Amino acid sequence: MLKLEEILVTRNWVGKPVRRKEDTRFVMGVATYVDDLDIDCHHVAFLRSPYAHARILKIDTSKAEALPGVIAVITGQEIARQTKPVVPRAFNKPAVQYVMAVNKVRYVGEPVVAVVAENQYLAADALDLIEVEYEALKPVVTIEDALNPKSPLIFEEAGSNVLLHDKMVHGNIEEIYKEADLVIKEHFKVHRYSSTPLEPWAIIVKYERANDSFVVWSNDQQHGRSIVNVCHTLGISTDKLRFIVPDSGGGFGVKLALWPYIVTLALLSKKANKPIKWIQTRTEHLLGGTHAPDADVEIDLALKKDGRILGLCIKDIQNDGSFVHTTGIYGLIKFATMSGCYNIKATSAELVSVVTNKGPTVQNRGVGKPTMIFVLERMVDLAAKKLGLDPAEMRFRNFIQPGQMPHTTPSGEVYESGDYPECLRKGLRHLGYDEFRKRQKDLRSKGRYIGVGISAGVEPGTSNLGYYYTSRGVPEYMGNAEGAIVGVDYDGNINVLLGSVDSGQGHATTTSQVVADMLAIHPDRVSMTNQLDSIISPFLGHSGVYSNKFNDVDLGAVIMATKKVRDKMLRIAAHMLGVDRSKLKLKDGTIYSSENGAKAVSFKEIASVAYKRILLLPEGEEPGLKEIAYYKTPFAKMPSRENFNIQITHSNSVHIAAVEVDVESGSIRLDRYIIVHDCGNQIHPEIVRGMAIGSTVHGIGASLYENFVYNEDGQLLASTFMDYLKPLSVGLPNFEVVHMESPCPYSLLGTKSAGEGGAITSLTALANAVEDALSPFGVKVTSLPLAPEKVVKAIRETKEI
Amino acid sequence: MIPNKFEYIRPNTLQEALSILSAYREDAKVLAGGQSLLSLMKLRLASPKYLIDLSGVPELNYIREESGRGNSARIAIGALTTYAQIKESAVLQAKSPLLVQTTHLIGDVQVRNRGTLGGSLAHADPAGDMPAAILALGAEIKAVGPKGARWIKAEDFFVTAFTTALSFDEIVAEVRVPVLKGYKTAYMKNAPRPSDFAIVGVAVCLQPDGGRTCQNITIGITGVTDKAYRAVGVEESLRGKQLDPKIIEQAASRVTDGVEVNGNIHASKEFRSYLASIWVKRAIQAAMSGA
Repeated sequence: MLKLEEILVTRNWVGKPVRRKEDTRFVMGVATYVDDLDIDCHHVAFLRSPYAHARILKIDTSKAEALPGVIAVITGQEIARQTKPVVPRAFNKPAVQYVMAVNKVRYVGEPVVAVVAENQYLAADALDLIEVEYEALKPVVTIEDALNPKSPLIFEEAGSNVLLHDKMVHGNIEEIYKEADLVIKEHFKVHRYSSTPLEPWAIIVKYERANDSFVVWSNDQQHGRSIVNVCHTLGISTDKLRFIVPDSGGGFGVKLALWPYIVTLALLSKKANKPIKWIQTRTEHLLGGTHAPDADVEIDLALKKDGRILGLCIKDIQNDGSFVHTTGIYGLIKFATMSGCYNIKATSAELVSVVTNKGPTVQNRGVGKPTMIFVLERMVDLAAKKLGLDPAEMRFRNFIQPGQMPHTTPSGEVYESGDYPECLRKGLRHLGYDEFRKRQKDLRSKGRYIGVGISAGVEPGTSNLGYYYTSRGVPEYMGNAEGAIVGVDYDGNINVLLGSVDSGQGHATTTSQVVADMLAIHPDRVSMTNQLDSIISPFLGHSGVYSNKFNDVDLGAVIMATKKVRDKMLRIAAHMLGVDRSKLKLKDGTIYSSENGAKAVSFKEIASVAYKRILLLPEGEEPGLKEIAYYKTPFAKMPSRENFNIQITHSNSVHIAAVEVDVESGSIRLDRYIIVHDCGNQIHPEIVRGMAIGSTVHGIGASLYENFVYNEDGQLLASTFMDYLKPLSVGLPNFEVVHMESPCPYSLLGTKSAGEGGAITSLTALANAVEDALSPFGVKVTSLPLAPEKVVKAIRETKEI
Repeated sequence: MIPNKFEYIRPNTLQEALSILSAYREDAKVLAGGQSLLSLMKLRLASPKYLIDLSGVPELNYIREESGRGNSARIAIGALTTYAQIKESAVLQAKSPLLVQTTHLIGDVQVRNRGTLGGSLAHADPAGDMPAAILALGAEIKAVGPKGARWIKAEDFFVTAFTTALSFDEIVAEVRVPVLKGYKTAYMKNAPRPSDFAIVGVAVCLQPDGGRTCQNITIGITGVTDKAYRAVGVEESLRGKQLDPKIIEQAASRVTDGVEVNGNIHASKEFRSYLASIWVKRAIQAAMSGA
């Protein structure tokens, strides 16, 4: 692995909060999202199922087709004749599902018919003219429904609504439990929520009649894989698909799953003879685009009397809804971090994934780790209470110590660095923990209830994509990697093309800082094309923005490509100056001799030789100054059930929430919120700070407001922002962010992940704080969200939220 | 926004608006600030064929003090007066502050800049804030139609969800609220987030006798049932009584007497009913301790 001093020749930009390059475009409203593309399109609208579970008896589209302005109509039946079923990633059972409903519908909002019309209004009008006869079936909504043998089957051919049932035991769990002084058990329920990016799914497809191929523009998050999925499903070779990703307004995982719609649009574009466009509405997005699964988790901890946690077992049942592609994935990802920040010797995870008539689930910010850290950190508090220990002390007694790094968890995850105890110490000092406890006592005597909640979480980054090997043979994707092209232009300025496309993370800014310090130039001279075009850009099956991989493999590829360019410029400069390469140095966009400063050439002069005066190139040197490189993380283990690292880097954070509960109304006010965050070296501290706060707000939303409530008929009762409540800036405290930097030895720049931690660690900070505030009432928190009605009920009757 | 097809008409006078409304009858909807109607049209839950936009009618935007019928002075507010204008009105703040207090809790800046008093009343959302305040104030609403103007008492105005005493060819032109002397007022609401529609909203006009005795009290409630209503039971229990915490609490428990309480995912029937009594208590306490 390259050393930091071999990578960076100056230290002027990396680590500094430089002005972001992206913002002017976005703030001025001149960014180019799919809907802004200047392409003359027809428009697509989807008729969606009003039933959670029903057989489709008859579809009559004749009136819609007769509506003037309607160009084409396609039903699920027609799709099924022309495509292959969706491929499940994680489970083995047969479960046939196409990109639209065929013989039956499996959730409210599932697409049944798609219409192309001259404009979006006509397309929507046409939907009203389509007649569908349904035979309603009994809906399967909850986990209990799905497990009930009397319930109907979502996929009859699977023979069960349980599509994945696996058990992963690591370490000698039986011995460990024999050593324990006591075992505590609890049962938690985590509800359904998701992210709701400002820009929902957006797709344009153009059919090229000349060579029977398609051009796709879409804000897809994982295009490397989507290209494969779309071509496979359509039964076309990959040279028949050109995939372009323009600006994207937020992803958070939900844009990993839009590719089935690309399949439908591709078929329709052939009929329409004109590019066609679909921009998802907010309601469509909330209905089916997509959720994190609700989960039911039984957990027990094996403890020593002094508070040490020896081992833990979970049984995790997740309600994966109705999308076979990703069903089962959550459990396989989340179990890997089940031991959290603690020295735990043995773990056992029984993973159950059920399908129901709820909407599709897809990887969402943190992918199951929010649930995992929620149950673990709740248990740590409950154990502390049981043992009469302070919750902070309980954590100090179990933390992996900095001297024990790198630490390998029972299942093989390698925590590379970090100082977990110091993070908590910093957080407690920042809060003024002892004073808070005093104030809490005083206020209680006055009938006011404040509480403090501590949560410590790991935030893994860069998926080692082989994780579903555990149940489905040799995985199609393994490891993680990304590609980049770095070019020096005629003027000696740098342009970077990457295999992933920024959706808010600040790729252009961060990349320019790194390249600037690699080439000793100003970041203003480094630009990034924030677009992926599959016939121009580098990409791999891993390409995309997900799992916090940017700092690791994306920048890895940029660094490797920049280094190639730098090496080539040095070779050309050595030849031009007649100076040995080892004597050359870089400064302000020039290469000069360290022995004679007058001997210098600018990047522009080097470019002139590389591009134009090519007879002046050294013997055997190729013309041009553009290099491509791919970088794969060298620390991904081979798939194995016994020892496998599901993710490569591991940031960590301690969250401390201080709340006041209005015990009469059940409402919760956030008083203070402290985030102590360690993501290794930071390239841009302000971007990291923004991500730490943003992801935390996501978790606060999940803890307090956001809830995809379904009724017993399987109808989603939160299908607009009137009912699916996002947190607002009003009502949030000023976040107090404290950084620590424990460099990662396994990434080129010592960085780790930064985009998901808040969403993982925050749920329990709030839950623990509310339980602490309500401790005089003996209330225990075992579920989310912390809705006022549940709070009041718990205080008055049930003693359990 | 992908609504059904509609024709957009922007008259320049109230008279013109009325004649268009008479012509298109139930097929037309009047657009004021658009904060509620457009959301319904977006979801195709409302599909008017004709949308009559009143934004070109300047004569409906004002706040002025008038000597009313009888002796009591009144403040007349044009139907197109925005929440933001009410919030900033010095006259209302000084002489009838309940509407000002209410606007502080309506939506956010954008909503307050666009939303109008007349629009809120005519739309009659069961969880709108203004209807509660109007009821507590005993306001009168001026409806104009082809046959001229008529005055409707606030308590007669709200019929059920999204339905008022207005006939299809009438437009709200003005709202008159009394100048309050010797009254204390407050508006409080419980909502999941600060800018949301009310789970329960309570507007209180309280006339103490100088001490702690309640000479008169009127209470408007929103968010609880299919329309805003006067909490008559609570009012009766408090009139002439000492405003002690126990008495207030007992009276507040009558807030949903005879009312069919709504439940939804944000608050069940039982919880909403419970919250209503809590918020009545809190609003009365706020009025007592306020100006």
